Amino acid sequence: MRRLVWLSVVAAIAIAYPLLLSSPFQQRLGALVLLYAIAASAWNIVGGYAGQVSVGHVVFFGCGAYAAMGSYAKFGLSPLFGIPGGIVLAVALAAIIGVPTLRLSGHYFSMATIAVAETMRLIVTNTEWLGAAVGLSGPTVPRNVFDLSFLSSLPYYYLFLAVLAITLLVTWWMTNSRMGFYLRAIKDSERAARSLGAPASRTKLYAYMLSAALTSVAGALYAMMFGFVDPESGLGILISVKILIMAALGGAGLLFGPLVGAAILVPLEEISNSWLGGKGAGLTFVVYGAIIVVIARFQPGGLLSLFTGRRKPGADKGAGHAP
Amino acid sequence: MLLEARGITKAFGSFKAVDDASVTLERGDILGLIGPNGAGKSTFFNCLTGDLKTTSGRVLFEGGNITDFAPEQRAGLGLARTFQVPQTFEGMTVLENVMIGAFLRTAHRKEAETRARAVLERVGMTRLADAPARSLGTPGRKRLEIARALATEPKVLLLDEAMAGLNANEVKLAIDLVRDIHRSGITLVIVEHIMEVIMSLASRVMVFHQGKEIARGSPREVTSNPAVIEAYLGKRAAKAAAGHTPVELMGGPDL
Repeated sequence: MRRLVWLSVVAAIAIAYPLLLSSPFQQRLGALVLLYAIAASAWNIVGGYAGQVSVGHVVFFGCGAYAAMGSYAKFGLSPLFGIPGGIVLAVALAAIIGVPTLRLSGHYFSMATIAVAETMRLIVTNTEWLGAAVGLSGPTVPRNVFDLSFLSSLPYYYLFLAVLAITLLVTWWMTNSRMGFYLRAIKDSERAARSLGAPASRTKLYAYMLSAALTSVAGALYAMMFGFVDPESGLGILISVKILIMAALGGAGLLFGPLVGAAILVPLEEISNSWLGGKGAGLTFVVYGAIIVVIARFQPGGLLSLFTGRRKPGADKGAGHAP
Repeated sequence: MLLEARGITKAFGSFKAVDDASVTLERGDILGLIGPNGAGKSTFFNCLTGDLKTTSGRVLFEGGNITDFAPEQRAGLGLARTFQVPQTFEGMTVLENVMIGAFLRTAHRKEAETRARAVLERVGMTRLADAPARSLGTPGRKRLEIARALATEPKVLLLDEAMAGLNANEVKLAIDLVRDIHRSGITLVIVEHIMEVIMSLASRVMVFHQGKEIARGSPREVTSNPAVIEAYLGKRAAKAAAGHTPVELMGGPDL
């Protein structure tokens, strides 16, 4: 019951935000928070609940981004058509990556995902058809509303809010299903979970594929908002890191953890960028590094776990332990 | 024949932890696996549960060959186990721990919860259902291991030193629980160090020493077997002990 009240309050704030704080900067900031919250929530399914810390999630982000821009640049279709394409691509890729790498434990899985992500970035950078280093652009002048090319951030804000709601709903549904229980069990002791009949490899793979699908949607939305994608913005390793840190800061393995993390880190980055201009970009990552250290040392369960009272015992295997 | 192992060998490099061990388990048996530390009984046990792949030999369950089955497949067939060092799901409540087992037979959360509560009732942990599992001490964790395994509705339950680390009183309670489980029609394999447990529970005993089976029979038969006493105590001690009853020597019933 109390949970429901909180939920309504958060939802009300989220809906009212861009109307109350309506400067373009604030609306854009809101949209970005939601976008990263989608990506971090998607990551949370495999990184938080399953405890498989993927540092290569940007690969799936890139699938969505390139599919969305590609459907316009290559086929003259609305970027919207790229979304299902991106999902299919991401899920297929997740299956290919997941089958061999999900058997790896802890840090080795993380390392393997980094390797895959960087390989992908290099391949795309050298693929002329995908625009190589320049990337692909969306429609410069929208032909109709389905091109999803708006000057204001407001439509994006509400689009992202809807997608975030769906993402959280899917996550919530998953955590209450057998799959969610199995994932938590596997995270604590894979051996025991298997002895009780949980098909560990398959369950992790499904989680990875679900997470990849949702991450690809985040990538597609990102590309639509910015109107282009290049190897850096669509496949750069720093996007993976950002997503991961947001989830870990807010609370990996908690439903609203990634949202909290995004609501703190995105404004931090945007503000430091606008204050310090181009020079700030580097500083942001210094701050990120400091945050990793602080989370790992003091609150491995993330900020939200302060309120839920649920210390995250799997933290020594999970995100909090990153570097 | 419920469970059968034929000529199981498990080698780690050139070292044979288990060397050509065979066993048959009939419905209703309580088979005890004993032996000194490092005798290979746990390795053999893990070959039965699928946690270790056998180097050679076959494991049959209800006549079917399950040698290459993964642990989760064996669980599905009705083979459940507990761990010597409890593998509690720390991030869950006691009830949720048991639900993981119950989910094997139902995909529905409500149903799994109902079944898990029934199991907790059976093992006397109802009061602790909503407690975080990490708050349990050793006896609670050991009992939770058994509860989780029971929730999978096994035909055979393999207990790996389920009494280790318990005090005398807790051991008595645990023995009662195991008896109750056996009465409900579950066949048991128990690996145990505490002789009292084996003596009072097992219908048949298999003794391991240096990877090989050195004796089998009723508990009384094997504990009076000179080879067994020697394996536990060494040659000289075995001679000196000749006048005493073996049960006494092995940490006997005075526990």
